[in-house]
Amino acid sequence: MEFVVISTLNGVIYGLLLFMVSAGLTLIFGMMGVLNFAHASFYMLGAYVAYTLSGLFDFWVGLLVAPLVVAGVGILVERFMLRRVHAFGHAHELLLTFGLALIFEELIKLFYGDFPVNYQMPEALRFAAFTVFDTDYPFYRLFIGVVAVIMFAVLFVLLARTRIGIVVRAAERLPKMAESLGHNIPLVFMGVFGVGAALAGLAGAVAGAYFPTNPNMALELGVIVFVVVVVGGLGSLKGSLVASLMIGLFSSFSIGLDWSLAGLFDLVGLGAWAHSLGGLMTMTVSSISGTIPFLLMLIVLLVRPAGLMGDRN
Amino acid sequence: MRTPLIIAAVLVALAAVPPFLGLGLQNALVNVLIASLFALAFNLLIGQAGLLSFGHAAYFGVGAFATLHLMRIIEDGVIDFPTPLLPLAGAVAGLVVGAIAGFFATMRSGVYFALVTLAIAELFHALAPRWQGLFGGEAGLSSMRMPWGGITFGSTLQVYYLTLGWVAISIWVLWAYTRTPFGRLTLALRDNEQRVRFLGYNAHATKVIVFAVSAMFSGIAGALQATSNEVANYSLFSSHVSAQVVLYTFVGGSIVFFGPLLGAAIFTLFAYLISDLTRSWLLYQGLIFVLVMLYAPAGIGGIVQTHARHWQRLDWSRLAGPYALGGLGGGLVAAAVVFLTESLGVLFDEAYAVARRGAGGGYPPFEAFGIPWDPLSPVTWGVPLALFVVGLVLLLRARRAIAERWDAVRSAPAVPAAGPGPDARTASTQQIAG
Amino acid sequence: MRTLAAFALSTAAIAWATPTMAEPLRIGIIESLSGSQTSTGRLYAAAVQYGVDLINANGGFNGEPIEVIEYDNAGGSTGAADKFRQAVADGVHIVFQGASSAVAGQITEDVRRHNIRNPGSEVMFINVGAEAMSLTGEQCHFYHFRYATTAPMRVNALVNAMAAAGELGTRVFSINQNYSWGQDMQAAIEAAAAAGGYEVVEAVLHDVNTIQDFAPFVARINAADPDTVITGNWSNDLLLLMKAASEAGLDVRFGTTFLDQPGNIANAGDTALGHYLANNYVPAAGDPAFAEAYAAAVGHVPVFVEPPTIFAVGALGLALADVDFAGGEIDVTEIAKALEGVTYESPVGPISVRAEDHQTIRPVVVSRVARGTQYPVDDTDLGFEPVSVVAGPDAIYPVQASCEMERPD
Repeated sequence: MEFVVISTLNGVIYGLLLFMVSAGLTLIFGMMGVLNFAHASFYMLGAYVAYTLSGLFDFWVGLLVAPLVVAGVGILVERFMLRRVHAFGHAHELLLTFGLALIFEELIKLFYGDFPVNYQMPEALRFAAFTVFDTDYPFYRLFIGVVAVIMFAVLFVLLARTRIGIVVRAAERLPKMAESLGHNIPLVFMGVFGVGAALAGLAGAVAGAYFPTNPNMALELGVIVFVVVVVGGLGSLKGSLVASLMIGLFSSFSIGLDWSLAGLFDLVGLGAWAHSLGGLMTMTVSSISGTIPFLLMLIVLLVRPAGLMGDRN
Repeated sequence: MRTPLIIAAVLVALAAVPPFLGLGLQNALVNVLIASLFALAFNLLIGQAGLLSFGHAAYFGVGAFATLHLMRIIEDGVIDFPTPLLPLAGAVAGLVVGAIAGFFATMRSGVYFALVTLAIAELFHALAPRWQGLFGGEAGLSSMRMPWGGITFGSTLQVYYLTLGWVAISIWVLWAYTRTPFGRLTLALRDNEQRVRFLGYNAHATKVIVFAVSAMFSGIAGALQATSNEVANYSLFSSHVSAQVVLYTFVGGSIVFFGPLLGAAIFTLFAYLISDLTRSWLLYQGLIFVLVMLYAPAGIGGIVQTHARHWQRLDWSRLAGPYALGGLGGGLVAAAVVFLTESLGVLFDEAYAVARRGAGGGYPPFEAFGIPWDPLSPVTWGVPLALFVVGLVLLLRARRAIAERWDAVRSAPAVPAAGPGPDARTASTQQIAG
Repeated sequence: MRTLAAFALSTAAIAWATPTMAEPLRIGIIESLSGSQTSTGRLYAAAVQYGVDLINANGGFNGEPIEVIEYDNAGGSTGAADKFRQAVADGVHIVFQGASSAVAGQITEDVRRHNIRNPGSEVMFINVGAEAMSLTGEQCHFYHFRYATTAPMRVNALVNAMAAAGELGTRVFSINQNYSWGQDMQAAIEAAAAAGGYEVVEAVLHDVNTIQDFAPFVARINAADPDTVITGNWSNDLLLLMKAASEAGLDVRFGTTFLDQPGNIANAGDTALGHYLANNYVPAAGDPAFAEAYAAAVGHVPVFVEPPTIFAVGALGLALADVDFAGGEIDVTEIAKALEGVTYESPVGPISVRAEDHQTIRPVVVSRVARGTQYPVDDTDLGFEPVSVVAGPDAIYPVQASCEMERPD
């Protein structure tokens, strides 16, 4: 029971964090058709910029300014790089962002070294929110979740209830038409790319103070974020939210599961035979939990490439 | 045509020179050959069929592991198998796994195809360290090449010749493949899949075959590495390996047959020569890749090909000037960037922080390129900055002049026939103009 | 060992086989000198250099100063295989490595194969930190020496010391990384249960250095209600585990093996107080002259992987004093034979080589994190306070049956 409650809490919060990063990625894909390999680098950049600013000024300054800095970087990337290679096709855009991801990682290593930096939350936030089953639950975890929820609410209102949102959605559906109606579509693209980068930057600034801030964080999160947007449906915000929570809960719970294929065979009386096979048969879910998101992504891609909530291929 | 002559000369050099090289360089050449074959196999997919795979490490790794298993069986004396044919195991494993993976992957196209291949490679990467029996766990599998037919296969030179033989034959087969009607069909698939289908061909089956063949040659490359290193572990499946082959291929140029080979050879040799000198090698690699993507989308191979095609009509007396100017500008910019990167690398290193503590918090001189520099002196930063600006101006000028003269070349009548397709021509045009 | 036909192979392309007068002894360090484990690789390199400087100050070897060459394996065994070949090309006689069992597994196999193919110009491998049991088990061979502890040595010392201090309890939770080292640790923790008078309430293996969030594991630990958590985790995996445990208010004692990695104590802060460490040496144990001499030369007292590395180079120095090639060609086999017979007096006790598997018989130091110790670490006021020093013969375990070493004639 205790494990279930704590794991659920942890899973939901981790899922919300994943959502903060995947929201921007899926927004950009929905609009521009670009799968941005450098998106998780924006997450990493956010954490490092916030770390630097928190050292110079204050944690809160870092938290507020880092997303703006990352948005600026995103806008530059869109305006001066992506737009340039747009004519060569999507594959080239993909490769460009892939190259940028490599450069961001190496630049971070150049300036900050190969080790995790000591990016800490302020002491004022370091307390237990509540206690369940004699376990303190850190307030900062809830804080991460709350930031994500606020972000989702703002994004939703912005897209669904404002004039800007209408233009953005029009640009996503029928860019040519929106352009002939007099809207500046390149500007919209640039803005969306900047906002997407800022969201990832915000996620990095918030989460970096809790999880390790190191040069591998982009690579580690990046692949999982791909899984999220694919499972949720490329271009679907709601889908990303659902998939994020799913993956979050899954990675939190899989740690406690000692099930294996051989265990399944136990149920039908073939356990001894299955155990003797070894290999895949005796691997427990907890020890191969890393593989399951990829399996899930593969299945979704092959069976329903539009994802859970996506409406097109 | 001069091409056969060039190929023959390269082959003769590759066969005749290595005995006179040191062990380290021989070993580096083995790596160059393996990387070249891997890149060419990878390019069969993207260059020919237009399918961008982000998980080719899977087939490279599968080839390596299959070979290791075969080597272990031979070492245990279970069967007698000629050592020179070891890579066959990699070829078979690559083909089989590639056919299965390709069957699923090619059900999708574009970004979705890339994601499927990525997921397959990540699956292998996550599973291999846990699967003791098949992949030897995290330590991997290890074995030893056995002597065969009076040859010991102990020395690096013998391994080199074994690799050279396999790579040369594989490349020839790959090249010949692009000349077959089936190879032409894959090209058509890249340019217009719809039309291929309407012509009555089975597009999916065609793609699966191309995928499997590409995986087979990747498997051979992996097998050659396993034969050379006598070890394979799960790191072969890492995204880093998949990323490297993408880099090689696109910097070399994916639309030209020998482009990827060029990229692989340049990068692997550079890595050998300078990876011990600088810690920022991967940064330079990334920068080169992005610059090529931005300004020369057809890659180095594309540039070479464009020149070769227009060779007869190039007026070098008018082109040499701008080219020299461009080379000078590029050299200045590169020198400035390298200096800044290396200096920053030293200044932000832990060792410098220790030196600062030793100097009572001041900024002691740092050493880069064997010369001490004062970090607070304007000369230290002003000179590279000036070099950068001057270089950039020269480059821009040279680019304008080169674009002008090339326009003149191209506007001349009678464009030579037999290009590798419309895409290639536009891309190489852009690269010169851009 | 598998059936390696003992064919004596001669190869043509050994550029350095040409005898020169006064051949210098060359030591190659194949470590991770770029990438995420650089800091550890650097410590190994610094410690080897320090030890070699001591030998060179006494006249070097074979009439020449010993040369040290560093090779960056880029963190992986593929890089190590490549660099090993480069080292051979450079004429290296002795390879040092320690940071990773996977890399050590690669190097030891490379050395074994090289020596079979090149009789007369052997290379030897001094392992100063890779603790996987298989290196002195099924993979053991004559030219590999392990100058480091292994999981059973650390765990036995740890549980004995903690039990004696009354801090072990009866419920132990084992959490380790899912690869050879972590699996060895888990096996050792389970094997020591009877002697330590505890029950292993749960044993968990997890992914290596990829987990961002240890909270789910802490929830699992909490649910099992242990008195002590024993872990062989290192680097991020140890740091994050301890951080998550302190945030959840978990009240358990940690028994660790790599808590002394620089940065750990600074990061963990006061939450590290009272936790245990079993390792090769802490500066507060034994004769302080050793630590002071190192501090005078390098700038800090020896920490983490530095002490065992210095001990290994020290032992090598003693072995070199026993052989003499009169300025001629160096025969590594002679050096290896001499090394087998050497006993090195470390500040915490003698270290000698067990001839059957080339594991060293060496003392294990158990210490506890405390405030106001003689040698505080990481610029904090915390340090390691020795609890007990287990002598070599008491710490060692029997030779593994899987080791079948073939000795040169």
